[in-house]
Amino acid sequence: MSKGVKMADEKKLMKALADAILSYDSAAAEAAAKEAIKRGLDPLEAIEKGLSPAIEEVGKKFEKMEIYLPELMLAADAMRSSMSLLLPLIPKGKALSKGTVVIGTVQGDIHEIGKNIVSNMLMANGFEVVDLGVDVKTSAFVDEARKSNAKIIGASALMSSTIGSQKDIVDYLTSMKVRKKHAVMVGGGPTTGEWSKEIGADGWGEDAATTVKLANRLVKRK
Amino acid sequence: MQILDVMEKALEGTPMSETDYQLRRFAPKVQEKVKEYGIKYDPKHPIPDDGSLADDMFEAAIELLAEVGAYCTSTARVISYSEHEIRRAIAEAPEEIELGEGRDRRKLRGRKVGDKTPPWCLLGTGGGACSSDKSFITLVEGYAEIPETNGITTPALTRVGGMRIRPASPLEVLGAQRNAVLARETCNRVGREGIPIMNSLSTAESDIAFAAAMHPKFGMRRSDAYMICCMDPMKVDFARLNKVTTALSLGGPISMCYGPLLGGYAGGAEGTALSNIVHHMMGLLTYQASWLLPFPLHLRYVSSSCRELLWVISTTGQAVSRNSHIISLNLNYTSAGPCTTMCLFETTASVTAAVTSGMSIESVGVASNRYEDRTTPVEPRISAEVGHAVAGMKLSEANALANKLLAKYESKLSSPPLGKGLFECWDADRRRPTREYRNVIRSYKRSMAGLGVKLGEEL
Repeated sequence: MSKGVKMADEKKLMKALADAILSYDSAAAEAAAKEAIKRGLDPLEAIEKGLSPAIEEVGKKFEKMEIYLPELMLAADAMRSSMSLLLPLIPKGKALSKGTVVIGTVQGDIHEIGKNIVSNMLMANGFEVVDLGVDVKTSAFVDEARKSNAKIIGASALMSSTIGSQKDIVDYLTSMKVRKKHAVMVGGGPTTGEWSKEIGADGWGEDAATTVKLANRLVKRK
Repeated sequence: MQILDVMEKALEGTPMSETDYQLRRFAPKVQEKVKEYGIKYDPKHPIPDDGSLADDMFEAAIELLAEVGAYCTSTARVISYSEHEIRRAIAEAPEEIELGEGRDRRKLRGRKVGDKTPPWCLLGTGGGACSSDKSFITLVEGYAEIPETNGITTPALTRVGGMRIRPASPLEVLGAQRNAVLARETCNRVGREGIPIMNSLSTAESDIAFAAAMHPKFGMRRSDAYMICCMDPMKVDFARLNKVTTALSLGGPISMCYGPLLGGYAGGAEGTALSNIVHHMMGLLTYQASWLLPFPLHLRYVSSSCRELLWVISTTGQAVSRNSHIISLNLNYTSAGPCTTMCLFETTASVTAAVTSGMSIESVGVASNRYEDRTTPVEPRISAEVGHAVAGMKLSEANALANKLLAKYESKLSSPPLGKGLFECWDADRRRPTREYRNVIRSYKRSMAGLGVKLGEEL
């Protein structure tokens, strides 16, 4: 329990944080985080006991198709609203996330839905996600991974003409001599497990659920 | 509404972030309309027979478009249309288009619910990828030889000169030009020189490759059709508008294709159907389309044969054909691969939903179009046979058929059999399926006869 906060109050504050995520409400999430900070709730506990279980629940609901993409993305937005206030208050060295994933749709490809789903599902499963958007240059993936010390790079490609850029990312990492620092997972419509092996990636995410499992494996390996 | 009007709206519309448009404008407004109009998916009736539901959905779609507009990602602005502009575009949409040359010249017209006229059969891969000129030629030759083929949708080449094609690169330009040349030449080889190529061109994703390959010297004609893909939901950018402008200057009819995802921005079956309908209207206006090509897909299965998707296809077809003369072809995807009965049952169900509900067809993306060379001329041929066989079928009969077909594959959608590759089950030299695949087809046709649908002779 957080110092100086009564158990009843703590429960109420945790519930407010969770409810904000479960109702996909960014403004409420921000307000709940401010209230938690004001009342002296331990920010680490606020995240671990309030926000994280709620976003995990959202992820599970999406996986079962009880909710859809807009709700998943709005819940992730709400999560970010709270986290932006709570994270700076946590002393460095306290591990919170499973690791950072830099994700994006590769150069020349502007398809975003699959990438958005994976990005938000990774976040819902405890990863810190840096989403670079669509049409992302090979060097931008690698530069960001190095900058944010990401354990994993996730490259999405939806067209047969753009999956070649996934190989570029692997080759670029190798030539920069940082291949072992960043695992590469690939996904998207025309990609397969064989393609992943052919280009030397570390794994293929067939869909959001398998990508999350893959990311869990890759962070343990690194 | 002309291209300069669209550009003016794209430059002057309300500024908005893409995320806000998708999540805070489009998505909630879709759900608001679903609720307001009481639109309800009924799993027992994947092909419903409720004209008032279809009519409500059409009206809801007009309101939806008037309230949310389209979105231009290049200018980060909303492209707004008034209800008057939308209704006028619907009224002025082409009733028929003449495509092809010589003995293959035909009129593509809108269809009606229960129409006995066979559907327009645009046959091919639905943008599927092939690894080589050899597989491209084998496939297109096979499509052109199907008696019911009214138009060809070519596969996408993935390599040029042994190199994997890269977007907006010389490799893509060369690949798109090669796509045009090979497609025309291949149709010529089997005596169907005049057949229209209607997806110009799968290999040309970027605007530069599209413009380069459309040059008449590579064989594309005004009597072909120019397909341009819309970004889900309701989005356009300058690259797509460049394609529109190029196609308009060449004089061929434009088709806008779009694949709303069930589970995506529009939510469940009801919202996805509404999104599918509203894209028809948005395509007429923003993409200057003369005909539409929806391909709604399930987020998880990446195919269009599950129960909800049959409902989406059917309600879309009914809404559009009962309330307009808009020409609409549904493109279907299967989860299973070639040389499996499941794949054939899947395409049968989707084609039945589309054709009996007033649509024509493009068929078919096989095994979610995920794999190179995992498609054959058999699957579109079966789709076309089914399309002709079910034309004129009552919606209630189609619904009973769909339920029986679903019972055969519904439980296997989450882990479908991927079947065999092109050259494993198609004999390119003899231009026919292998013995193994012929046995699969025989078994499938026996089942179909048992369900009361008589299909063509053996391949």
